[in-house]
Amino acid sequence: MTHGRLDLLFGAVSDPTRRAILARLAVKNARVTELAEDFPISLNSTSKHIKMLERAGLVHRLVVGRDHVLSLNAAPLRDAAAWIETYRRFWEDRLAALDAFVTAKRAGKTATAKGRTRK
Amino acid sequence: MTADTPTLTVEREIEATAEELFDAWLDPESLAVWMRPGDIPRTDATVDARVGGTFKIVMHGSEKDYVHTGTYRRIDRPKKLVFTWVSEATYQRETLVTVVFQRTGKKTKVILTHEQLPDEAAANSHRGGWTSAIEKLAESKNG
Repeated sequence: MTHGRLDLLFGAVSDPTRRAILARLAVKNARVTELAEDFPISLNSTSKHIKMLERAGLVHRLVVGRDHVLSLNAAPLRDAAAWIETYRRFWEDRLAALDAFVTAKRAGKTATAKGRTRK
Repeated sequence: MTADTPTLTVEREIEATAEELFDAWLDPESLAVWMRPGDIPRTDATVDARVGGTFKIVMHGSEKDYVHTGTYRRIDRPKKLVFTWVSEATYQRETLVTVVFQRTGKKTKVILTHEQLPDEAAANSHRGGWTSAIEKLAESKNG
C-alpha cells in the first residue's frame, strides 16, 4: 500500500456516515438512491460520501442500465488492519525487550554490589 | 488521543521503577540494546532529549537499515513520554506514540499507544471507533 492510498483510506473512514455506509454495504449491495433513503442526508451528500469511498477503493460501482449498484470492497481495510497488527507485535516485542533490559541491568547492579561487599 | 484515527495500545507490567523505565527510552545506549529486534545484529540511537528535540534509531539489518526518526512532544519524567514516529513502516508519514508509566506497587505498568495522525480532511470529523470499525469490516465476507 502506498502513502497516498493510506491517506485516502484514513480520510474515507474517518467520517461516521461513511463508516455507516460501509457497514450497510457489508450486509448487502445497494443502489445510491437506497442509501440516500437509509440515511438522514440528501442524495447529493450521499453521492459525495460514496465518491470518497470509491476513491479509497472501498466501494465498487456497477452500472446496470440506469441503476448504480454499490458493493463493499473490504480489501483495503485489511491492509489498514494489517498495519495495526504489525505495529502491535512490534511494540509488544519491544516492551518485552525493555523488560529484559531493565531486569538485566538490575541483576548487574546487584551482582556488582555483592561483589563490592565481598571485597 | 483521538478516536478517529487507527490506534493501537499495548501494555506490559515490568518489575522496575517508573524512573528506570522512563530513562531507558531517552538514553541512546539503552535504546541500542532494547530497540534491537532479534533479527537485527546492531542498533544505533541518537537522542536530543528535550521537547522539540529529535531522535534517530537505526536498526542495521543484514540486508538493509531500518531508520526510525521522530520529535519529542512531551517529556514528563517519569510519568509520560510523547513523540512522533516516522519510518518506512509508517510510509514516512508522521505517527504519534504516547508512553505512560504507572506505578503499581513494586512494578510499573507501561502503556504504549501508537496512533495515525489525522490528516486535515479527517481532523474536523466526528468521534467514532475507527479501529473496531475497520477490524469488523475487514472480516466482512465482501472483498
